[in-house]
Amino acid sequence: MRFNPNLNASVLIDIQNSEQAVQTAFQQVSTGQRVNLPSDDPAASAAYVQLQAQAANVDQYSSNASSVLSQAQTADGVLTSVVSLLNQAITLGTEGANSTTSDSDRQSIATNIQGILSNVVGLANTTFQGISLFGGTVSGKAAFTADSTSPTGYTYNGNTGVNSISVGSSLSVQANIPGSTLFTNSSASVLGALSNLASALQAGNTSTIAIATTDVTSALQYVTAQHAVYGNTINQLTAQETYLSQETVTLTSRENSLVGIDAATAAENLTNAETSNSAVLAAAAKVIQNSLLNYLQS
Amino acid sequence: MATLNSALSIASQSLQAQELELQVTNNNIANASTTGYARETVSLSEASPLTDGTVQVGGGVNVTSVTSVRNDLLTLRIQQQTSQQSSADAQVNALDQIQTLFPSSGTSLSSTLSTFFNNLSALSSDPSDSATRQTAIQGAQALVSQFNSISAGLSGPASNLNTTVTSDVSQINSLASQVAQLNVELQQQNAEGQNLGPIGDQLNQVELQLAQLTNITVTHSTQGDTITTGNGTPLVQGNASYALSTANDSSGNAQVLDQNGTNITSQISGGDLGGSIQVRDTQIPTLLNSLDTLANQFATAFNAAQAQGYDENGNAGAALFTVSNTVAGSAASIALTTTDPSALAASSDGSSGSNGNVANLTALQNTALSNGQSATAQSANLVYQIGSYTATATSDSTSIQQSLTALNNQQGSISGVSIDQESANLIQYQQAYAAAAKVVSTIQSLFDTTINMIQ
Repeated sequence: MRFNPNLNASVLIDIQNSEQAVQTAFQQVSTGQRVNLPSDDPAASAAYVQLQAQAANVDQYSSNASSVLSQAQTADGVLTSVVSLLNQAITLGTEGANSTTSDSDRQSIATNIQGILSNVVGLANTTFQGISLFGGTVSGKAAFTADSTSPTGYTYNGNTGVNSISVGSSLSVQANIPGSTLFTNSSASVLGALSNLASALQAGNTSTIAIATTDVTSALQYVTAQHAVYGNTINQLTAQETYLSQETVTLTSRENSLVGIDAATAAENLTNAETSNSAVLAAAAKVIQNSLLNYLQS
Repeated sequence: MATLNSALSIASQSLQAQELELQVTNNNIANASTTGYARETVSLSEASPLTDGTVQVGGGVNVTSVTSVRNDLLTLRIQQQTSQQSSADAQVNALDQIQTLFPSSGTSLSSTLSTFFNNLSALSSDPSDSATRQTAIQGAQALVSQFNSISAGLSGPASNLNTTVTSDVSQINSLASQVAQLNVELQQQNAEGQNLGPIGDQLNQVELQLAQLTNITVTHSTQGDTITTGNGTPLVQGNASYALSTANDSSGNAQVLDQNGTNITSQISGGDLGGSIQVRDTQIPTLLNSLDTLANQFATAFNAAQAQGYDENGNAGAALFTVSNTVAGSAASIALTTTDPSALAASSDGSSGSNGNVANLTALQNTALSNGQSATAQSANLVYQIGSYTATATSDSTSIQQSLTALNNQQGSISGVSIDQESANLIQYQQAYAAAAKVVSTIQSLFDTTINMIQ
């Protein structure tokens, strides 16, 4: 059997292949990625693209969550103040309903209640980064403005719209409770109860004052119940933020296992590729030089 | 009758035979690195014996022929593999360029799509914030530009490939006429009974170049080589060559026509021409169709979602994207109807602070569009498609390269010039020549002896 006497062509191909291997290994070391082009691993690349979109979504969910969280915390703080103001009003109302209280005292208590009412309205008009917290989905307007024609003395400018915000692929939280639900609800109106109490105190009828105070108590109970909604939202968001940060870690590690390469493996691959490249070059140098002519004496 | 004269004639035959061997060896060494050269060997035969009474004595040596050592079957297989290799290489080259349009990381169609949806999601926490709206509309603008530029990026290689098709066809024609010319020489030399080795080498070289350009079938005969391409379209027959031509079809793609004007584009399966045609007519259109489908369905679905809500001014949501009714060309023509940030229909009740419709808009990211796949999945699928095309072409090229190397080695082992062998032969012929020359001088001294005998 005769062998191919011209090794050059196949030697060159071997050298090229081995240099290609060195280049690939070098690229993997320098980028830390096993997959640098879609053709390196089409399926992994496609999955990587989807994972990146998921990771971007998780980032956005976290940013949504933190923005809703501050909003909910502010609203929560507002409701805490409202609750304490209502408690104060109940104490004052109970004092006013007491038959031993003088009329002039009732008048000053009524002024106090008016003060509490305008405080509550002030709180109801709280804005968060330009958004009226209790104005429903109406923006750019205060939730409540003074209106002498209204029985409570205030009119609601908002609507009953509720915004929900996505904080997970299948989780969205309610971001607001409309002012009409919280403060002027037909069954337990905070503003109505306070304004009735003020009028009753001014009129001086102890039994009416007592009834008005009871109304304020039921309004307080209602607000306390709504307060829990925000508390719930805050708990939910805090839990979700923790989940999302874990999810980010999970996604990053999935991305790594999909397209990344372990640094030690990459370094080892590079060393292997370099060694085999040197071997091919050394072998080529020996093989190409040698011929019978070197040994023939002229 | 064995005489001194007949001995001298045998010696001179021997000298001539060794000279010829030396010349062929010399020629082999001279062409040791000539591409396509097949080594030549001299075949010698015993001359018919002389009869001396009842004894037969050898009559010396005859030169029978000088032949090139080659295996035609191997040559044909090398041609076929070369065709496939060039086709795979042409595909790898074209697809490598296209692949850069669909990176798996960094700014890509998928990342722009994902950014746009995240911009919209950010809108949900503050739908009336002008900066957030501005960001979202810029996200839409970026998405539209991505669609436009990828579509343009796919058309670029297509027009380059058309140039390749035209230049390949003209090279095929010039090579075919070279083959026809060589066939004429082959016929002449055949008639004159000359060594057909050199002309065969040349024919093989030209045919190998043809094989790099298109798929060919070669048949050898005494009239020269007959070459066909495609499904039997003749390129060369005897001393005639048949030119292919190109013409643009309605979409501006160069089509390959045979000498009768019949379109044979789809029959070309190998070589640079075949590979270029495949990328241009199969792979690019498939990618472009996926891209157009995504652009069309996404824009349509997004406009429908816009219509479910209200913009910042409380008007019913108007279409945000302009897109053609037909899928073809959607990615190239998609545009924004407005760059006004207030046009995004985030509100579900007409109030500017409502985010009720944002959920409908962002839902498009992961809900199935009309072809059953979500926008994200479709953009990821594009990455898979181009990746798999390129990977397949690359692995084809690598595996054919390996088999081609093996075939070339095999051919080299048959036809390649070995300097070692030629050197060894050289010594053998040198000694044989020296020995024959010695015979001549011995006979000369015998003649002298005979003449001196007379004196």
